[in-house]
Amino acid sequence: MINLVFYFQVHQPYRIRNFSVLDIGKHSDCFDDKLNGEVMRKVANKCYLPTNKLLLQLIDKFEGKFKVSFSITGTAIEQFRKYAPEVLYSFRDLAKTNCVEFLGETYYHSLSFLYDKNEFLEQVRMHKAAIQKEFGFSPITFRNTELIYQDSLSDYIWEEEGFKVILTEGVDRILDWRSPLYAYKDWSKNLYMLLKFYSLSDDIAFRFSNKGWVEYPLTVDKFVKWILDLNLIEKGKKNLFLNLFMDYETFGEHQWEETGIFEFMKHLPEKALRSRKIEFSWPSDVLEKTNYQPESISFPEPVSWADIERDLSAWRENDMQYNALETFYELLPRIKASGKADLIEAARKLSTSDHFYYMSTKYFQDGDVHKYFSPYGSPEAGYRNFMNAITDLEEKI
Amino acid sequence: MRILMFTWEFPPLISGGLGTACYGIVKGLLKKGIEVDLVLPTREEVYFPLRKVSDVDDLPVKFISPAKEIEYTSTVFKDSTERYSYIGISSVPESYISVTEVQTFYEYFKNFTEKFEYKSRIPFNEVLNNIMGSENIFEKVKEFTFRAQRYARILEYDLIHAHDWLTYPAGIIAKTVSGKKLICHIHATEFDRAGGAGDERIHKIEYSGMTEADSVIAVSKYTAEMVISRYSIDTGKINVVHNAHNINIQESEDKKRIFKDPVVLFLGRITLQKGPDYFLEAARIILSRYPKVRFVMAGAGDMETKIVHKSAKYRLKNRFLFTGFLNAAHVAEMFLSSDIYVLSSVSEPFGIAPLEAMSYGLATIISKQSGVAEVINNAIKIDFWDVKLLAEQIIRLIEDPAYRKDLGEKGRHEVEQIKWDRACDEIIKVYKKTAGR
Repeated sequence: MINLVFYFQVHQPYRIRNFSVLDIGKHSDCFDDKLNGEVMRKVANKCYLPTNKLLLQLIDKFEGKFKVSFSITGTAIEQFRKYAPEVLYSFRDLAKTNCVEFLGETYYHSLSFLYDKNEFLEQVRMHKAAIQKEFGFSPITFRNTELIYQDSLSDYIWEEEGFKVILTEGVDRILDWRSPLYAYKDWSKNLYMLLKFYSLSDDIAFRFSNKGWVEYPLTVDKFVKWILDLNLIEKGKKNLFLNLFMDYETFGEHQWEETGIFEFMKHLPEKALRSRKIEFSWPSDVLEKTNYQPESISFPEPVSWADIERDLSAWRENDMQYNALETFYELLPRIKASGKADLIEAARKLSTSDHFYYMSTKYFQDGDVHKYFSPYGSPEAGYRNFMNAITDLEEKI
Repeated sequence: MRILMFTWEFPPLISGGLGTACYGIVKGLLKKGIEVDLVLPTREEVYFPLRKVSDVDDLPVKFISPAKEIEYTSTVFKDSTERYSYIGISSVPESYISVTEVQTFYEYFKNFTEKFEYKSRIPFNEVLNNIMGSENIFEKVKEFTFRAQRYARILEYDLIHAHDWLTYPAGIIAKTVSGKKLICHIHATEFDRAGGAGDERIHKIEYSGMTEADSVIAVSKYTAEMVISRYSIDTGKINVVHNAHNINIQESEDKKRIFKDPVVLFLGRITLQKGPDYFLEAARIILSRYPKVRFVMAGAGDMETKIVHKSAKYRLKNRFLFTGFLNAAHVAEMFLSSDIYVLSSVSEPFGIAPLEAMSYGLATIISKQSGVAEVINNAIKIDFWDVKLLAEQIIRLIEDPAYRKDLGEKGRHEVEQIKWDRACDEIIKVYKKTAGR
């Protein structure tokens, strides 16, 4: 049996407005309220609301046989509440079906794991509390920002009560001869691990509407056949996990409605279930469905799901990114020590990984994606705004 | 006396450094009863008949074509912006752009777009087209020059005054048509702008302008020497008239601090000519010993990206900050919130910004390779390349607030005396001398 595990990432950062040195120390904060509202309302209409509606219909139709999971960041939840509360209600409706698993992560979608363990664990706890409050769900599966993972992460997470499963990218250089379709355990054998099957995930997330792709157009029949072919790898009776992890914004935002992405999703469950060899599962189902002793797998170097390198270079490669990150994490404890709640909140909003992503100068291919997501004219403008914004907080301590 | 004046910039239409100087000069001349017919690179064929002091701000407009003049006078404008857009004038200071810069960029971007396959093509093509627009500055100069003969024939005036190479061809044409004397005013040469040899075509225009001119005005001895040595212009017709500044601040205007720590300011275009890299190197030395200083690089320019990356590479944290492009009001605010001003220029024909900084009471350090160094005593003067000395001098000012304050105060008093009125007296002397020749 092959378990199809959908996990959708739902995230929106607080984008910074054009923030000059002359704005430092003034009364207003550094976030672009107008732009953030516009983006949220646009994505709500194009993606969140129609896709939630579709998933709800599918869950009703298949009476528990269709299941998905979400990781929703704290900054996304806050901005739903502020700019598009109907999105929050529709996620609550999904939660009530009991067919949706909510994952744990850092509240601010930050890189704190790399710099500040205490801050990291605080943000994980904040997120857990928010998910419990909003959706009545206590996360048992953890995924770090952008699937960033290395061995020490599983140790941090093991210390936190409740987490039993962790997700990351199925990186070839780590897996080597192994397949991402099996369940694994982390290097100290505490947590179960599921690894993203990136080729099939990216077929939906990135290649779906690419007319230059040899497999275009991607039909449900074709996709289900590919999934069934994967089954051939297992000669015994071990359960496989096909982990399709992607940004939720794939539906209707990255891939527009006209591409047929909603139709694809609408017909996928029926076709898959009819084969009788595919089941839909939650990540946490791995705890019960693993009918074998999982191998332990070590990630000595950090990996992520970003860009072709699948490492940290999307956020930490050039000097601007290093200087910004180092300055920020040096400043954060001082801001926290000040006890000023507004400053701490603003600083944490600035910890969101997107701010460092905007500073990326990796041009060809991947730079394209960076540019698509960036609200600024250039990586340097992103850097300038960020540095001025954190200096504003420093001067207000 | 009435002057036919050609220039490429004039505030608020275009407000670069050349515009700032022209504004001060014209205002000063009007005060002393000299009338000016001002010609700018407008889309419509118009001139600005300036007769009284308030005209320098109101900018009355006259069309060359009588039919268009009737149409214009019967049009009602909501505000001055609408009026300016009717006559058509660009708001980007073009006289800054050196042609080599433009061509290098053009090649770079062309190369870049070819490597791109899909969606990013569109914005890059836009950039490319804009650069083409700037490259077309020679086309604009041609058009401006072509029109000059009509202005020269129709208007009535005693002398022709042309500012910088962009208007020298127009000046020469006007002189030929009218037989009036020509004064070429040199605010910067291609050697200053390019930080090296620069563009051959511009050299030729600068040379012929100054050769054809009956008198040449240089903004400093530094520039006069440059003109003499590079272009072998007859020393007898060169006059030095130093620039002044337009800042008039009240004693009551308080400092508007942004930072708790002392602020060291670079303010100007971030280009090779202004030596931003020397400022950065000094900052690096200082911050390794004194982490409690803020360096602010204010302005924009083609070296900005390079300096941003380098400052990050040096890990100067958030002690070296950037403002991006600043408008006039923001410039004033930046001066009010700074303590030390540094002019690190490699070659600065004059340099009005340090005068402005000093009038805000900032302790000021200026490059010896500048015209402003000739007129100022209460500022620290250093060679632009002597980064160690620059760092030492800044540290001295940081360590000794009393010295800093004293230098700032003395500087403020000193620049109070540097007024356009006095510069204009000198210009009028040149006018009289030239007219009587």
